[in-house]
Amino acid sequence: MRNAALWFDRRFGLEEHTIAHYAWVIVAIAGVVQMVGAAIRMAFGVLVDPLVEAFGWTPGSIGLAYALMSIVTALASPMAGYLGNRFGARRTMIAGTVLFFIGMMWTSQTQQIWELYVAYGIVFGISQALLLVPVVPAVAAWFRRHLGLGTGIMMVSWSLGPALVIQVLAVLFENVGWSQAFVIVGVVGTGTLLVILLFFKNTPEDAGKVAYGTLETDNPLITSGNVFISTQKEFQGFVYKTNAFWNLINIHFLGCVGHAVILVGIIPLGISKGLSPLTAAGVLTTISIVSVATRFGAPVLAERISPKMVMFASFFGQGVGVFLLLTANTTLDFYIFAVVWAIPYGGEGTAFPVLIRKYFGHTPMGTTYGWQLLGAGLGMALGGVIPGMVFDITGTYTWAIILSAVFSLAGSVAILLLENTRMQLIPNWPEMESKPVGSEIPSVTTGIAEPGI
Amino acid sequence: MKSAVPNQVIETTTPNLDGFEITRRPLIGFGLLISSVIGTLAVLIFFGAWASSDRIENRALAAGISEIQVESEWWEDGLVLACPLH
Repeated sequence: MRNAALWFDRRFGLEEHTIAHYAWVIVAIAGVVQMVGAAIRMAFGVLVDPLVEAFGWTPGSIGLAYALMSIVTALASPMAGYLGNRFGARRTMIAGTVLFFIGMMWTSQTQQIWELYVAYGIVFGISQALLLVPVVPAVAAWFRRHLGLGTGIMMVSWSLGPALVIQVLAVLFENVGWSQAFVIVGVVGTGTLLVILLFFKNTPEDAGKVAYGTLETDNPLITSGNVFISTQKEFQGFVYKTNAFWNLINIHFLGCVGHAVILVGIIPLGISKGLSPLTAAGVLTTISIVSVATRFGAPVLAERISPKMVMFASFFGQGVGVFLLLTANTTLDFYIFAVVWAIPYGGEGTAFPVLIRKYFGHTPMGTTYGWQLLGAGLGMALGGVIPGMVFDITGTYTWAIILSAVFSLAGSVAILLLENTRMQLIPNWPEMESKPVGSEIPSVTTGIAEPGI
Repeated sequence: MKSAVPNQVIETTTPNLDGFEITRRPLIGFGLLISSVIGTLAVLIFFGAWASSDRIENRALAAGISEIQVESEWWEDGLVLACPLH
């Protein structure tokens, strides 16, 4: 395996990087976790019609379960981040996997609407937070340098996961019915998560390895023991006193309202302008596919150039881009919009871990990231209701488009008010004062292959 | 072959943070967050009041009475009262 990886490095001239490092295994596991986590959210769209048919519930009352799930996920995110820091991402994600299984099985056997609210809204809501929040900080812990590259590769699964999962669910619903589909996805998803989490290690130290991009001159970071717990608490206390901590929650909220309005409203908007349902759905698919490029590229660029600049460009582009929809009337107009808008949209949310690293160094970022996802979750929930609410009142989507732009542009202004990223806001996370005897820190090449993969 | 696990140094002191303090309050960051919350509430109240006044108007038209005579829901009254533009 290692020889094959080294051959790959030589073949493709990866002087500065290597694929022969366990950090990439962690990134791959994180990608799968994100995909399964996304299944929870994506399952809902295809669940509505079968439930209406089977039980006669209204789409509105069923939709309440989705809103409840979004809000529960948002509210549980800070706690999920804290649990990831305190007990490790692996244990937290295993707890999330257990809840995923319970939620899937319970939803499959639902007979009453309140059961749907509890199983899907609350159990899934908490499960999603436990699966999706700790995984990003855990990946960050595996990258001493080149975090943008690791984050970018992981974030690609945000686009590919839903695209894949929704197709699988649609086929299953068609062939075995919604109840059996939930049982199958629940069993396969839980099994997959439990198997891959066997290979997941919270920190390089847990695996007896060094983080990707560690230089020979770097002292190892303290990542366990009583210093870790006490310092982490003290460090987080300082984080709460920075402007960046509060403003990043705000920015995540504003950005998510901005794009949730479009993601939820683009299909009904397209249909209202005369597009067929299939063509309108194609616009959304185009957005998902095109955004893959910037989901990967934004964190890489953020690390190389400036996270503030990349995030400002993304938010500004997302805000200005939606104005194309005000004059969109034909299929071509909508597809041009999809391509143009997906570029900034893809980069909007993926540079946050790089920015946190710039401000707070190598501190475990679980709690900080969890709070940001609270803002993101509430923003997604609000953005999701705006298009329908505006259309019910005004009979058009014009105000929804304007509101989307206002929220995104307000986010870009808030980014300009963030602190300079050239200086860490709090002194760096403690390093061991001297290198431990017997440790094998690889040579000065930043991405050098590690032994033992 | 695995690289050796570093021997963990367990200490109770936090050398890099000793003496570090942040005395200023995060007024800009917190202020921006609160501004967004207030702005969002304002948007929701504006559209809620718009919807409420439309509902009241429709009921008045259907019953052939004036809007003041319509028996409105508590939340409709509340939203119209809270919005200075309706």
